[in-house]
Amino acid sequence: MIETRDLAKTYSLDHDDVVVEALRGVTLAIGAGELVSIVGASGSGKSTLLNILGCLDRPTRGEYRLDGRDVARLDADARAALRNAKIGFVFQSFNLLPRTTALENVELPLVYGDAPEPEHAARAREALAAVGLAGAEGRMPNQLSGGQQQRVAIARALVTQPRLILADEPTGNLDTATSVEIMALLRRLNREHGVTLVVITHEPDIAALTDRVITMRDGAVVKDATP
Amino acid sequence: MKLLHMTLRTAWRALRRNLTRSILTMLGVVIGVAAVIAMVSVGQGADASVQAQIASLGTNVVMVIPGATTAGGVRSGWGGASTLTVADGRAIEKECPAVSAVTWIKREVAQVTYGHENWSTAIQGSPPSYTDVRDWPVARGRFFINSEEDSAAKVAVLGQTIVEKLFVPGEDPLGATIRVRGVPFRVIGVLAAQGQTSWGQDQDDVIIVPFATAERRVLGTSFLGTVNMILVSTPSPDDAVVASEQITRLLRERHRTPPGQEDDFTVRSMQELFAASLMASQVMTRLLAAIASISLLVGGIGIMNILLVSVTERTREIGIRLAVGAKSRHILLQFLVEAIVLSTAGGLLGTVLGVAAAIVIGQLAEWPILLSPAAITMALVFSGAVGLLFGVYPARRAARLDPIVALRHE
Repeated sequence: MIETRDLAKTYSLDHDDVVVEALRGVTLAIGAGELVSIVGASGSGKSTLLNILGCLDRPTRGEYRLDGRDVARLDADARAALRNAKIGFVFQSFNLLPRTTALENVELPLVYGDAPEPEHAARAREALAAVGLAGAEGRMPNQLSGGQQQRVAIARALVTQPRLILADEPTGNLDTATSVEIMALLRRLNREHGVTLVVITHEPDIAALTDRVITMRDGAVVKDATP
Repeated sequence: MKLLHMTLRTAWRALRRNLTRSILTMLGVVIGVAAVIAMVSVGQGADASVQAQIASLGTNVVMVIPGATTAGGVRSGWGGASTLTVADGRAIEKECPAVSAVTWIKREVAQVTYGHENWSTAIQGSPPSYTDVRDWPVARGRFFINSEEDSAAKVAVLGQTIVEKLFVPGEDPLGATIRVRGVPFRVIGVLAAQGQTSWGQDQDDVIIVPFATAERRVLGTSFLGTVNMILVSTPSPDDAVVASEQITRLLRERHRTPPGQEDDFTVRSMQELFAASLMASQVMTRLLAAIASISLLVGGIGIMNILLVSVTERTREIGIRLAVGAKSRHILLQFLVEAIVLSTAGGLLGTVLGVAAAIVIGQLAEWPILLSPAAITMALVFSGAVGLLFGVYPARRAARLDPIVALRHE
């Protein structure tokens, strides 16, 4: 599903005088249907890696094959199309559109995709039902609890039936009980729908709920373990 | 389709979320469009009324008036000399092929009395051919005829103002005897009301009598046979230029004006006058429209300003949309649509206000107004274009955002 070879990302700060190496050659393979977590301290490069894996960003060097296709050098619009078709995102701060109903939030990726319009509402309802939010279609984000908002966000990531879901600290803004619920939901989606799931977290408890833990430090993978 | 629908809905929602701000943003465009429409309506109304007034004089009429003469080095002003004669008029009629009818006028101010009333007005002597040249119908009674001209009959045709000044309301002026400088005249006709000329002269304040009668019995001038004005009509307004040339050549010849010396008369066609005043009012209309357009432009800048604020405020929303697969053109479209919705809504509101303002101005100032569909359409299209033009910059800024940076924006 995911294959990277010697992936590197450098940022130039202060008029090119200071060069920051966020990633220093990451070689990684994640198979279809895996449930993987990436852990590491802040600044270890895990978010940079996730951005590149999610085609939000391009590597400075190295190769990235997603589903067998070389995607490292695609332009912005091609990456947008790829994200829409194959990747779902779940963020720490939910990132739902304010003053927009749950149903419309979930429909959003479909608006920019190829699915025929009459199917949009039905598919969004289905995705909401899959995360246990049937009946909450008309609610606005500010009428939902944090856990519910994250469920809506997961439904939004799910609605295009992507091969890959990337979750960046999905439980970072939630209490422990809700965190466990959300992780259980993600696990279930992984098991039932066969979607490849990559979770970034700095909490060992959360990482322990995944099948494989990749540890990063200073822009490189230092440990890749299956607990 | 869904995209357009969604884009429109998103635009509408974004504008409604900050309703006060949206309305204030629109205000510039509203005022601009309203000003353009009101100004153009008033300007075109003025155009139309000038045209109507001049047309009432007849656009196929050419006026010949005595001009400056140089007699022993002393130059008198226009109309000050008696250089035009009845014989000149007859010669024009006979020798200028582009002319269809000729008449002449001798005018002087005189005191008129009837019963206890008296009034100072213009006494105009003209032959019956006056009705051939001027398109001025007789409302009641009749105009005098050739036999009355030949016999210098003491008959008069009155303008509407004279009827109002000398007669009590309801009294029939036909058959009454009025006195002009003591000379009794029988009223045989009343002219239709003509109103003011565009230069503010009351055309109805006149008494017309046969030319011979005026010359011999009332005005008693020492220059018999001279006239104040020769009026010539041509078959169509287009012949006026040719007729003017023919008249000028003939009169220079008759007055033995040496080549190189100024004419001792002035030929002026109504067509020229018409064109000149039309041009003046059109220039005025355009000037007003141009000034009003500036406020439309200012309105556009207001829209741009607010959209830039909106792009900053909604950076995270843009990031979310980019993350789930929106391409930069989708984001561009969304902000452009918002700009156009704002400016077009402002344009519609401005149209309503502008039409209302034009009507109110027309009623209060008693000016004629002319609502021009072309001007309204143009103002609307222009307001939409303003939105497009000033929406491009903020929309491009939104569309160029990096999704990672946008998602991180607080």
